[in-house]
Amino acid sequence: MNASRRDWTIAFAGIGFAALLPFLAPDGFVMHLMTSVAIAAMLALGLQMLLGVSGQLSIGQAAFFGLGAYGAALMTKEAGLPFLLALPLAGVIGGIASLAMVPITRLRGPYLAVATLGFSIMVYLVLKNEEWATGGSYGLIGIPRPELFGFRLRDPMLWYWFCAAVAALTYVGMLLLQTSRFGRALHAVRQNEDAARASGLRVTLLKSQCFVISAVVSGMAGALFAHHLRYLNPNDFTFWKSIEILIMVVIGGVGSLAGAVLGAAVVVVLPELLRVVGDYRMLVFGAMLVAVMLVGEGGLAGIIGGLWRRAAALLRRPRPALRSAAE
Amino acid sequence: MLTSIFVGGLAIGCVYALIALGFSMIMRATSIIHFAQGEVMMIGSMSGLTAVWLAPFLPAPVVLLVGMTAGGLAAVAMELAAYRTLRRRGVPLMNIITATVGMSILCINGARLIWGSEPLRYPDLFGVEPVLLGGARVPPQLLWIAAAGLLLMAGLQLFLKHTRTGIAMQAVAQDPDAAQLMGVNLTRTMAATFGIAGMMAGAAGVMLGSLFFSFFEMGFITGLKAFVAATLGGLGSIVGAILGGLLFGLIETFSAVYVSSAYKDAVGMLLLILLLLFLPQGLVGLWRRGR
Repeated sequence: MNASRRDWTIAFAGIGFAALLPFLAPDGFVMHLMTSVAIAAMLALGLQMLLGVSGQLSIGQAAFFGLGAYGAALMTKEAGLPFLLALPLAGVIGGIASLAMVPITRLRGPYLAVATLGFSIMVYLVLKNEEWATGGSYGLIGIPRPELFGFRLRDPMLWYWFCAAVAALTYVGMLLLQTSRFGRALHAVRQNEDAARASGLRVTLLKSQCFVISAVVSGMAGALFAHHLRYLNPNDFTFWKSIEILIMVVIGGVGSLAGAVLGAAVVVVLPELLRVVGDYRMLVFGAMLVAVMLVGEGGLAGIIGGLWRRAAALLRRPRPALRSAAE
Repeated sequence: MLTSIFVGGLAIGCVYALIALGFSMIMRATSIIHFAQGEVMMIGSMSGLTAVWLAPFLPAPVVLLVGMTAGGLAAVAMELAAYRTLRRRGVPLMNIITATVGMSILCINGARLIWGSEPLRYPDLFGVEPVLLGGARVPPQLLWIAAAGLLLMAGLQLFLKHTRTGIAMQAVAQDPDAAQLMGVNLTRTMAATFGIAGMMAGAAGVMLGSLFFSFFEMGFITGLKAFVAATLGGLGSIVGAILGGLLFGLIETFSAVYVSSAYKDAVGMLLLILLLLFLPQGLVGLWRRGR
């Protein structure tokens, strides 16, 4: 199962669009929002890897995101490490934290979900209560601007491009990973764990590897987030964040990488667009969430895919008629 | 000291157990993690409070009944309006679970529009004079809540074992297809499951409100803890949910006093993760292992 030409077309069309976006809307707020989308996309891709590819439900992704964010912020602020070093190290922090969780990957379904939830609540409490390191509920302020080889990314457009590039690399990496031998093994595990084990796959190892990869990506997203807002508050890393990430993946379509990115965009941008309805904003958001679940099995990716096939079928239909006319 | 901590833990444990019961019943019948269960509890709490506002002379059991009715109606409404349609369409389980999150967002924000975002104080439903219990002065509402909670759970057990609807619910939980072949009305039984689960949560809402406050976000974290408690006991098991809830309440209260009030939630979570590593099915795994 190689990555089909369609997958690569979608990937490069998306990356091209993301790269050109600043020219379409050169506005400070739009850039801020789009940077948030790029960061959210990484989180969603991380969970898609876990849920869509290996079939493990985690509702504690915010833990790795938060550890990466605080880790990177402390590294650049207190230790003075360059941002480009802090970014991968934040991924390492997420990965190491997830190693502590590896034993629980043998749990299934809701039990795994609850264990990740428990872990994320513990991480949240540490972020909130260890004031000497994290600033507690006052938050962590004074995170320096990101710097690349001595060049400060002061322009929101440059910073957006950087975050979008990291997200794009993650996307391409996951696309390659998904279609590698490792990815195919994970698909087998998701479809039937017992059958996968019987065919000689080391199921627990595969699942834990997947868990770690997802945590590394979330940790790196945390590093970007910390240097995007340059202020961290434990309330950004509650259980609610994990649920938001889950919504991104499901609304976009479980199993589809493009869907994860689309879902991230929807979850970040939609509440902003809904500001027009004022107090009813989140009410409408909740209703739309239920409605999308009612309409589409495969989330937005499924809906769009269906429309695309229908449009293609419409375009194809006249052909036999033309042929008969020619005959 | 020990007695009053214990009664306090038991009371909060009853609240968790009642919500956890709902989680477990719904999980067993439909495999859904019902994330809106905490919000059902909040609706029960708010409705009970509204009833007291409208008629201050209402005795505590009536307020409890109002909360139960409101919770039950809310849960049935969710089932009829969304979950049933989703199940009929045969959408993946993840979609239904996400829809319950959407439902939870809807309820939280709807409640904020109706009842505002300030924490609302419950009147003293159960009197204020402390009761002497083994030399300790225990606030009366704790005793009332523990008693009412245990009574409700016992009542639920009787209902499940001895009424037609209760037995039908058990049958549907075990094997929906076989139950349907035996003439059980699946749609009605599912709605009844949600209704009973909602009633338990609604009662928990009135209890929790009278212990602390009522406010629009109260269901969120409490619902999560109850979900954890249900898992601690063993998802899908009624006895497990009761045990898990009571145990979780006691752990939380004791670790707030003896460990650290900032980390009281962490203790329960740590114990949960450790327990799941050794008993992946929760506490009920202890005596179900043989099967």
